[in-house]
Amino acid sequence: MKKIYLFVLAVIALVPLGLISENPAWGEWENEYYEKALGFIPKAMQNSIFEAPIPDYATSSLGDVGSYYFSAFLGVLIIFGVFFILKKVVKVER
Amino acid sequence: MHIPDGYLAPVVYGASYALAIPLWAIAFKKLKNSLDEETLPLIASLSALSFIVMMFNIPVPGGTSGHALGVALIAMIFSPWIGFLSISLVLFIQALIFGDGGLTSFAANSLGMGFFGAFSAYFVYQKTKHLKYAPFLAGWVSAVASSIFIAVILGIEPSLGVDGSGKPLYFPFGLDVTIPAIVGSHILFFGIVEGIFTQLTFKFLLKIEPEALKAV
Repeated sequence: MKKIYLFVLAVIALVPLGLISENPAWGEWENEYYEKALGFIPKAMQNSIFEAPIPDYATSSLGDVGSYYFSAFLGVLIIFGVFFILKKVVKVER
Repeated sequence: MHIPDGYLAPVVYGASYALAIPLWAIAFKKLKNSLDEETLPLIASLSALSFIVMMFNIPVPGGTSGHALGVALIAMIFSPWIGFLSISLVLFIQALIFGDGGLTSFAANSLGMGFFGAFSAYFVYQKTKHLKYAPFLAGWVSAVASSIFIAVILGIEPSLGVDGSGKPLYFPFGLDVTIPAIVGSHILFFGIVEGIFTQLTFKFLLKIEPEALKAV
């Protein structure tokens, strides 16, 4: 196996460290924050137009760490999948 | 820096798509020209690494957190166009599957973290690559450049629409708040994190993939 793949796997292994912080990124607060800080929630921000299937990298059944690993692997698999398909398409075109 | 849906006025996300679409088209052509058996493992791995490092949330004083982006590495090793497109792919997956960022704001996030992040890293690296710490500098500048774009685009929202009672319709804090909060935290913390990540990973890649990096 290529060393770079092992490196990616090693970084994935450490991914639960990302759960240490409960703090959200600046500006990426829940709506309750705006309610508390401003006394209102700006209109456009009140309703989400779209629900992601795995919001905040958390699933209901796998626990925090399990969900985070699952999300990391899923994301990485999709990224590799996209590049492999793209390479196949490029090959056919050539 | 992942702007969610509902934060941006339609004129802003409309304009950001209008700007991003032709840039994505150029980037896609560049990627197609460079994608082969040799480059695919590294481009895909660095994109995957970007996705993963964005999951490492690092707390900072003030009750918030942030993370590295991983965009500088791709820009330095391949090209800023490929960096821009790879980060856009990462951001799209984050928005679509994990609700991190948004779909209306996807183009704006891609321009900020992808386009500005990649091109600033590329130019800094080209100018400084004789220096030992050039990757650190490129990483730091790319995070700060991204944060400036995101802070400006969020900070102009209060002036773009209010409801009947004068309350902002979109993101409510102006430039006087977003610039110090977002750019300040990237100058002091997350830029440093991006710089260290870029420096260490670049040196490590030189060891494990010397062939792929010989032209850099």
